[in-house]
Amino acid sequence: MCESKNIYLPNLATIEAIVDETPDVRTLRLVFQDEAVRENFTFRAGQFAEYSSFGFGESTFCIASAPTRKGYIECCFRSVGRVTESLRRLEVGDTVGVRGPYGNSFPIEQFYGKSLVFIAGGIALPPLRTVIWNCLDLRDKFKDITIVYGARSEADLVYKHELKEWQERGDVRLVKCVDPGGAGPDFDGKVGFVPTVLEEAAPSAENTIALVCGPPIMIKFTLPVLERLGFSDDNIYTTLENRMKCGVGKCGRCNVGNVYVCKDGPVFTAREVKAMSQEF
Amino acid sequence: MQIITEQNLRNLIDLLVKEAKLVVGPKLSGSVVLYEPLTAGTELTLDALPRRSSKELFFPVCEDILSYKREGGGMKVTDVDRSKFPETVLIGAPPCDAGSPSILDAVMSWDYKDEFYLERRKKSTIVGIACTKGDDACFCQAVGLAPDAENGSDLFLTPLKDGSYACNAVTEKGQALVAAHKNLFAEGAGAEPVPFVDQAVQKLDLVKIKKWLEEHFEDPLWERIADICVGCGACAFICPACHCFDINDEGSTDDGVRRKHWDACGFAKFTNHASGHNPRDVQNKRYRNRIMHKFKYYDDKFGKTLCTGCGRCIRACPVGIDIAEILETINGKAE
Ligand SMILES: Cc1cc2nc3c(=O)[nH]c(=O)nc-3n(C[C@H](O)[C@H](O)[C@H](O)COP(=O)(O)OP(=O)(O)OC[C@H]3O[C@@H](n4cnc5c(N)ncnc54)[C@H](O)[C@@H]3O)c2cc1C
Ligand code: SF4
Ligand code: SF4
Ligand code: FES
Repeated sequence: MCESKNIYLPNLATIEAIVDETPDVRTLRLVFQDEAVRENFTFRAGQFAEYSSFGFGESTFCIASAPTRKGYIECCFRSVGRVTESLRRLEVGDTVGVRGPYGNSFPIEQFYGKSLVFIAGGIALPPLRTVIWNCLDLRDKFKDITIVYGARSEADLVYKHELKEWQERGDVRLVKCVDPGGAGPDFDGKVGFVPTVLEEAAPSAENTIALVCGPPIMIKFTLPVLERLGFSDDNIYTTLENRMKCGVGKCGRCNVGNVYVCKDGPVFTAREVKAMSQEF
Repeated sequence: MQIITEQNLRNLIDLLVKEAKLVVGPKLSGSVVLYEPLTAGTELTLDALPRRSSKELFFPVCEDILSYKREGGGMKVTDVDRSKFPETVLIGAPPCDAGSPSILDAVMSWDYKDEFYLERRKKSTIVGIACTKGDDACFCQAVGLAPDAENGSDLFLTPLKDGSYACNAVTEKGQALVAAHKNLFAEGAGAEPVPFVDQAVQKLDLVKIKKWLEEHFEDPLWERIADICVGCGACAFICPACHCFDINDEGSTDDGVRRKHWDACGFAKFTNHASGHNPRDVQNKRYRNRIMHKFKYYDDKFGKTLCTGCGRCIRACPVGIDIAEILETINGKAE
């Protein structure tokens, strides 16, 4: 048989648990079937993987669980097309393929001793959730932790059970919000768009790192707010989510200029993103 | 110098086929010349540039990268046995085709290695041939190759006026091919080479062009020249250097194959996000990416230009977009 490694060959994993976050967003907890892979699989917060549903193909999602939690990985995805729809039809006990981890990551060690502000919009909480749990598991290494999270409507907020946990644990400031018109009668968060709510919450920029994930339009409006709050472009991190296929710098799909998001990203500082100043 | 007569070149093909090698060369296929497997030396046709490039010998239009099958309660995934890829000789490729694998090696082998491509490369010998068939779409000289450029060839043939070929074994693979068939080659001075066709395109300053591209990501030129592109992808599919691909499953959820197949950055959905956001939402941005990738990004990353000047995209474009003309325009504008 072949001696050379097939970089497109996924590891097999079993779906161990399923959580429906919203009507179209689902979290899968995956356990690798091969014992050696299970033991040796490591990743860093911010990295992504290619998940396959056999018969349909592959989709790119970040690894949404924290690297500090061993034995399984989680992904959280919105059903939007062929592969994601088919992944959503799978059940506990079914097999999916996983190749990765790919890409760079958030340099968490460099954040030790600082305050953190997480800003996420809609389905973009998963890429930050991995960092949030990673940092909460090392809570004493950080000063204040603020999470600003918003979605179009109350029903679109993902990880509702964890939002509650963060709200109640006392060592995290959680500001959750929904777009105007999206709140139900009992909503206990704020009504407004993420950038506006962030500006009101006004976290201090002093010795603080901001991590932003969301649709391009949200990021576009959030960066000036952070600037007004006093954050420098080097202290703002974000992820780019260009369409990917190979994940390993071959298929030519994910580039922004000469940056390959799958290899050089997906994590970038605001300074790096601004330097690209090109289509993304 | 080593000389091979035309008859012995055809005999060489016969011998290689007998040795169970896959021999691929220009062959008349219906009304067009294409690179196809040769079953006999008589099939080799050297009087026209093949319509499609020889890239697909290393990077097939479509290839299996794994198969899967439901077994018991689980799934079994089987790798493709790349040790079965055949020993291959590509014969009769002009420099614009012979030179492309040596350009693509860079992207296929940095960091993660694409063993499908690399295994085929390892098992192949390229017999290039100096080009005397150029037409007015050719511009290999303008991008640093030439009708007699040996880059990428293991053995290089130069057509001589008496119908024979001067041979230069460029690499060890080329030397091995000659050594294994010594009696077909003769030592001699050889006749005069057949002259090359003059290329109409002026020599381009690729460094200058790259600098202009760096500074003119936004430029009216893109709208002017690329708005008419219909995004058919013909230019990419016919190009010896384009390497974009997609990955998809074919089969049922119980049994099937995963395949890698060509794609093109000119297609409207190429970069479309699931959210509906598309970074390259209009055609001129997609065409700009094509030029940028070939003459700036690839060079930034790998120090190479992703174009061999074969002119195929010029001949194939249904709306007459002429890459050489665009490069000349940029060359003229650049300081
Ligand atoms: C680094 C990274 C991390 C990511 N992390 C996550 C994550 O954690 N969670 C998550 O949910 N997503 C994430 N994404 C996005 C995710 O990759 C996509 O949502 C997913 O791949 C969509 O796959 P699909 O096959 O289901 O969709 P597709 O079937 O490919 O469809 C995608 C969209 O394009 C449209 N479309 C496709 N083909 C056509 C066509 N021929 N004509 C018209 N329209 C078409 C579809 O309607 C749909 O809107 C991430 C992406 C990246 C790059
Ligand atoms: S871009 Fe056009 S001229 Fe250049 S190698 Fe590709 S097909 Fe040939
Ligand atoms: S062949 Fe011409 S029309 Fe078709 S994608 Fe290429 S440049 Fe556009
Ligand atoms: S996803 Fe293929 S090159 Fe980045």
